[in-house]
Order: sequence, then C-alpha cells, then structure tokens
Amino acid sequence: MSRQRAMRDTEYNPLVYFIDGLVTLFNGMVVTWRNLWRPKITVRYPYQRRPVPPRYRGLFYLKWNEEKQRLNCVGCTLCAQACPTDVISMVKLGKGTHAGVSEFTMDLGRCMFCNLCVEACPFDAIYMGPNYELASERRDVSLFRIADLAQGGEEAVRKNIETIERLLAEEEKAKPAHAAHAAGGQSE
Amino acid sequence: MVINVGPQHPSTHGVLRLILTLDGEQILACEPVIGYLHRGLEKMMERRPYRHNIPFTDRLDYLAALSNNLAICQCIERLGGVEVPERAQYIRVLLMELQRIASHLVFLGTFGTDLGATTMFLYAFREREMVLDLLEECTGARLTYNWVRVGGVPDDLPEGFGQKVLDFVKLFRQRIEEYDMLLTRNRIFRSRTQGIGVIPKETALAYGCSGPVARASGIPYDIRKVAPYEVYNRVEFDVPVFEDGDVWARYLVRMEELRQSLRIIEQVLRDMPDGPVQTKLPKIFKPPAGIAYSRVESPRGELSFMMVSDGGANPVRVHIRAPSFVNLSVLPRLLEGAKVADLVAILGSIDVVLGEIDR
Amino acid sequence: MIEAITQFFTQHPLLWAFVKAVVLASFTLVIPLAVIYVERKIAGFIQSRLGPLHVGPQGTFQTAADALKLLLKEDIVPEGADKRFFYLAPYIAFVSTVLCFMVLPFAPGWVALEMNVAVLFIIGVSLFNVVSILMAGWSSNNKYSLLGGLRAVAQLLSYEIPMVLSVLAVVFYTGSLSLTGIIEYQVKHGWNIWHPPIMIAALIYFICALAEINRTPFDLPEAESELVSGFNTEYSGMRFAFFFASEFANNFFITAFAAALFFGGWDGPVLPPIVWTFLKVFVMIFVFMWLRWTPPRLRIDQILRFAWQLLVPVSLANLLFAIALGVR
Ligand code: SF4
Ligand code: SF4
Repeated sequence: MSRQRAMRDTEYNPLVYFIDGLVTLFNGMVVTWRNLWRPKITVRYPYQRRPVPPRYRGLFYLKWNEEKQRLNCVGCTLCAQACPTDVISMVKLGKGTHAGVSEFTMDLGRCMFCNLCVEACPFDAIYMGPNYELASERRDVSLFRIADLAQGGEEAVRKNIETIERLLAEEEKAKPAHAAHAAGGQSE
Repeated sequence: MVINVGPQHPSTHGVLRLILTLDGEQILACEPVIGYLHRGLEKMMERRPYRHNIPFTDRLDYLAALSNNLAICQCIERLGGVEVPERAQYIRVLLMELQRIASHLVFLGTFGTDLGATTMFLYAFREREMVLDLLEECTGARLTYNWVRVGGVPDDLPEGFGQKVLDFVKLFRQRIEEYDMLLTRNRIFRSRTQGIGVIPKETALAYGCSGPVARASGIPYDIRKVAPYEVYNRVEFDVPVFEDGDVWARYLVRMEELRQSLRIIEQVLRDMPDGPVQTKLPKIFKPPAGIAYSRVESPRGELSFMMVSDGGANPVRVHIRAPSFVNLSVLPRLLEGAKVADLVAILGSIDVVLGEIDR
Repeated sequence: MIEAITQFFTQHPLLWAFVKAVVLASFTLVIPLAVIYVERKIAGFIQSRLGPLHVGPQGTFQTAADALKLLLKEDIVPEGADKRFFYLAPYIAFVSTVLCFMVLPFAPGWVALEMNVAVLFIIGVSLFNVVSILMAGWSSNNKYSLLGGLRAVAQLLSYEIPMVLSVLAVVFYTGSLSLTGIIEYQVKHGWNIWHPPIMIAALIYFICALAEINRTPFDLPEAESELVSGFNTEYSGMRFAFFFASEFANNFFITAFAAALFFGGWDGPVLPPIVWTFLKVFVMIFVFMWLRWTPPRLRIDQILRFAWQLLVPVSLANLLFAIALGVR
C-alpha cells in the first residue's frame, strides 16, 4: 500500500493565490474549450434511439416454436418458483409430453427484471427482449397476459392452444389402442 | 436559526434530512435524520430462499449494485462451501472494478456540482455512461445488474468485450488528465476542499469508517489487500493512503483509485483463463447450519453480509453492514463549527448512498 | 417624413421621453431572451450536450416560450411574507437595470439620455440592485432566502468598492465622467485597454463584474446546491421572471459598460458602430459564459477576503497610478 501526503498548498498569500487561480482557471477553460468542439453525446430520444445490446433485459416474451407450431412453455412453473417477487402465474394445459399453458400472466409492476426466471426455465421458453418502453400512466396495464407476452401475439396463442389440444386428443386416441395392443400382447 | 436541509434538497444525495442549528453561516449542531427509504430488506431476505435474495441487494447501494451482488453471493458460497471457477473469479473482479469506476464517477460529478462546477457533472456522467454501456452489454441492465450468482456468474463475457474495455481504459486515462486540469488543479477547488472536514485518524477508527474515508485519514485498510477475495491477490495495485483526513484527501483517494482500477482491469483482461463460469448447484439449495460472514471492498467502504443458516432453504438471519451508514455517523461531528457552504463539500466527500443506509 | 417625426418629438419632449422609456424597457426585456438562449446553447455545447432544440429552429424560441410560461404561472406569495417588499423587490431590480441602459451609448448619438455624469449615475443606480436583493431575501420569510440575501449583500457591497475604484481610474485617466466622452477619447487615443493602468483596472473590473452579476465562481447568493435558489427561492411566475430578466439584462449591461470603458465602445473599422458595440458585448458575454461553466464556486469568507485583501488595495494603488499618468 502506498502511503502518501496529499499535495498541500503554501500558506495563504493573496497575490500568489490570485495568480495561481488565474492560471489554473485558464487551464480549466482550455478543457472546456476543447469540449466545446467535441461531438455532442446527446441522444435525442424519442427521435433517436440507442441500439440495444442483445443481452438487454427488457420486456419478456414467450418463445414461439415454428417447427412444432406452439410456444415452448410447458407450464412447469419453475420460473414462477424462481421469482423472488411472485410475478408469474399460469394456467397449465394438459399434462405429460404435450403439456403447455393456456394462460401466462406476469404482473410487471412487481418485476425487478432480474433474469432469474429466464435462467430457471429448462425449456428455453421465456426470454427478455429489447423493449424498454414500459412506462404507463395507469396501474392496471402492468399486468401482462399471455397474448401480450407470446411471440406472435393472439394468433400464436390461438395456434398454441390448437396444437396442444390436437396433440392431446391424438394422444388420447392413441392411448386405448396402445393399451389394447399391450393387453393383446399379454394374452398371446 | 434552525434550518432543515432535506429530505428534498438538491445536494443531500437522496432522502437524507439534516437538521442544522446555525449561527449565521456557522453550523453549531447537525442532526441527521434517516429512514425515509427504509424497506426492511434484511427481514425480507429472511423470508426467501437464499438465491432469491440476490436481486434485492441491487437496491442497497444502487450506484454499485455489483459489489452488493458479490458480497451476498460470497456469503452464501461460504455458507454452502461452494467453489467458484477461476474464470468466473476473474470476471467478477473485472466487473467490480468497472463498477468502482462508475461509482466514483458519480461521486466526482455530484461533488463537482455541489461545489458549483456544474460542467464536471456532465463530463463525469458522460464517461460513466460509457461504463454503463459496457456493463449493459455484459449484464443486460444499466443500474440493477444482478449479475453475480452463487457459484460464479450467469454467463460468459460477450464477444469482443475485452477489446471494448481496453478501448475505454485508453480513453479514460486521457479523460482523468482532463479532470485533473479542470478540477483537481483548480485553485478555487483546492481552497474549497483543503483543511475542510478533517477526520483525525483516531476518530475514523473510533467510528469504524472504512473505504476512501478511512484511507484519507491515514488508515491503510482495504479489504482487497487485508483479506483478498476472488483474485485480488493475483493482481498488482496500490492502495492510496493519505494522512490529512480532509475533503481534499478523500477526493484524491478516489481519483487515485480510478487509476488503480484501470490498472487492475488491464491485468485481469490479460490474465483471464478460459473455462466454465458457473458451478452447478442443486435446484433447492440448503446450506448446512452455521454462520457465514463475507466482506468486500465496495466503492464506499467495507460492505459485509452475515447470514445464519439452520439448514433450511431460507436464511434465519441476515445482517448487512453498510459502509455508508457507518461513514455517515461521523457527519455530525465533522459539521460542528463548519460553514454552511462546507456542508455540501463534506457531505459530498463522504459519498453516501441512502439506499444502503436505510436498507 | 423623418424630419416631420423629429420635429413632432422635439415639440413634445415628454412624448419622446415616453417613447424612449418604452423602447428601453422592452429592450431590457428582450435582451435577456437572447442572452439566456445563447447561454443555454453554450452551456450545452461546453457540456457535450445540444441545448434547447425543439421550439423553433434550433430552439431559438425556447426562452420566449419559457417567458410565456412564467407569465402564465400562478403567482405564489408565501404566508408570512412581508407583502409590500416582496411585491416591490423584483421591480426595483428591473428598474435599476433599465435606468442603467438609459445612459448607455450604443453608437454616436444613440443614447436615451446624454448625461455628463453618466458613470456616476450608473454606479449609483446599480446599487439599487443590492437593495432589491436584500428586500427579496428578507421579505420572503424563508431562511434560505435570507441567507442568500445576506450573502449577496455582503458580496455585492465588497465588490462594488474595487469596481468603482477601477472605473474611477478610467475616469481620471480620460478626464471625463460622460460615457460618450470616454468613448470619444478612445476613438482619438486608441482603446483604453492598451494603457497599463487601465489594463489592471480592466482586470479588476472583470472580476468584480463577475461578482456583481452573481456568476461562478462568485455565484454564492444563488448557490443552488447549498441554498436551493438563494434570495429568489420563494419567487415564482412573473416576479421570478423579472428577477431573472434583470439578472441577464444586467449581464448584458455590465459587458456593454466594459466595452465603453475599455474597448472603445462603438469604435472599430468597416462595420457600422452599432454592430461593433454588439460584437464586443457578445464576445465578452461569451467569455463570461465560458468562465461560468468552468470553475467551482468560492466560499463566502474566501470571497470577502479576496475582495478586501487584494482587490481593494490593488485598485486603490492603481487609481493613484492612473491619476499620475492621466492626461490632465
Ligand atoms: S425478472 Fe425476476 S422479478 Fe421479474 S418475473 Fe423474472 S424472476 Fe420475477
Ligand atoms: S416459462 Fe419455462 S419455466 Fe416457466 S413454466 Fe414455461 S417452461 Fe416452465
């Protein structure tokens, strides 16, 4: 550790202080003069916007899986459990391999944008996007429903439910056959 | 004459209220009133699982959120005996030093405005904005980062981050020279700060001051040196210590720390090994019963967390030693006999953050 | 046509006086708008910002819009204020500035009132400013205002003395108490600033001028980080606007006065005299603003110490020097 004495000044002497004052003031003015000509840093929001880095933690979205025609979320509530402030609640749709969510609500008025829920999700279903303009004059708009969160909005939610219901129905149909098959196998 | 400074006053840096008894321009007595920002954080933490508490620490010292994240994570790691991979330790040190620069720049800017040099505020914030951009790119947030996890950091540094930091370091070296020209060497600035608000060494010790405040009073006490955590024992840096204990010395300590932080950043970027950044932990983390205590050198001083575990999922007791709170306690003593105009200089030089004081 | 008008006014001197008064008063109201706009732009540029942008091209109408807003605002008078003084203070400040402009020559013949003791008049009238600040600080019934007011009075009075002494140096040097006379002397003998005793006088004058118009590093009376807003803390709306306007008009005036005393007033080649006056004034205003955004502010005891220990003795010695070297 370095131990040093602060640069100290001599005893007060009006004239010395005055001249020193003028000189150092001039030095300072040189700095401000230089800055007068530097490019300005103002970003004229909302006319201009800064680019948002990819990791930015803004408004959430539920990832849409184009291949499977559904949202990735399976309604496992791990994110809800990871959240320190109980922001997330959901309604699960179906169970087993084809489970999904029919409703997914986030009360962002309580959210800290801490990223814990995103890290907790094992299915790559929830992410934080680049949208940071969430301010509002009303309180109730802080409640985000599934249609506000899903990638693709209403349309995606409808398709999501459709797909999952179809898959569930198929599974349901396949079940007795499978059971019969199994039974048949046993009897042989 | 009794005047009431704050909680809404341009230079009390938050919601601090000071009741001053004046005789003309002379301050006879000062009584700080705190608690306007009290949220009961310690109690809140006792009701939640360990790892849920990390984001709350962002709201303590909101100018140096990462230091708080680190402090609580270290405490939990000690409690649970969690190892941190080497690369994660380097990343932590890198982020801590960037955070220190950002925090000291806020000090520099607000201190300048307090003394009337408004331009300094804009310059310091301009550079702070660059640091925030860097941190934003890495962590995804600008103020409440929450980017330290028990057992490491959540993610690796983004692509090309090191180069950007080095560019910043290079630019910032020049900018520090400019600050020196504009403010440090200025005659008026020196007359306003030298010999004002002197904290003698004994007082600093008696009140338990830490951080720049203690180091300006001649106490060579820096947690990074006396109890190195992460990889601070592998990097080379000096801890500036001044004997005088006045506002000027506290200012110089912080200016010197800016330079030292740049040095640390360069070394860390040079030495950083490859490897994983996080240790896998069980879903439900239940450390064995016991007490853990961790301390880090936040930009404001010694920040410590104490946690008591009974083997369950939640801590049963959390205590936070907030450096600002301890440093603020010398204020009434410093202000006795000072001038009203010195009030802002002295308060600014202690550099308190109210979020941390009121918890 | 012009002759007819001139004749009309020579026949009705009162009316002519009225016209001049109206023109001067509106000038005093309009000048601050320009000065404030320039100030904000320069402050912005120095601080890496852009300054006002949105009202009018490059934000030129911003200050006008602000003034309008101030005029439309509710007029709040604090409870327990000394009403009479509270009402009066801003107008006294404003009137003292208008009166100063009255004797200021902008170009040969362009002066509202040709006065052979103009310099003395200005010194006397500008002291009203101090009175108005004290009134405002005292009557507001606010402790911050009072502190600001007291600081302001201590500061302004201390700096008035070296300022007057340095102005007197010019007076003795040129042998004239009339501003027109001083400028005409400079037209003949070259600008005063090039003469050694006046050089020192000019330096002292500039320092005092900074203190007189409450600019950094002497902006204690309104040190917002300590005293919220100083003596005008409790003022709002129109009354505040008057304080604000008079402060910036004063800023303009004090540089115009300096131009007349040290830089030959309207004297200059090629361009018409009025342009030269304004050019000099604006260059000086720019320097003032540049200065304002550089250093921190001093403390009240340091300010007073500086004035009494250095400026007063030096300006006294300089006055003797000027008398010794003076023409007559
Ligand atoms: S970001 Fe944090 S607070 Fe917000 S929902 Fe996710 S876990 Fe909860
Ligand atoms: S978002 Fe992820 S963690 Fe949350 S319920 Fe859906 S799948 Fe589970």
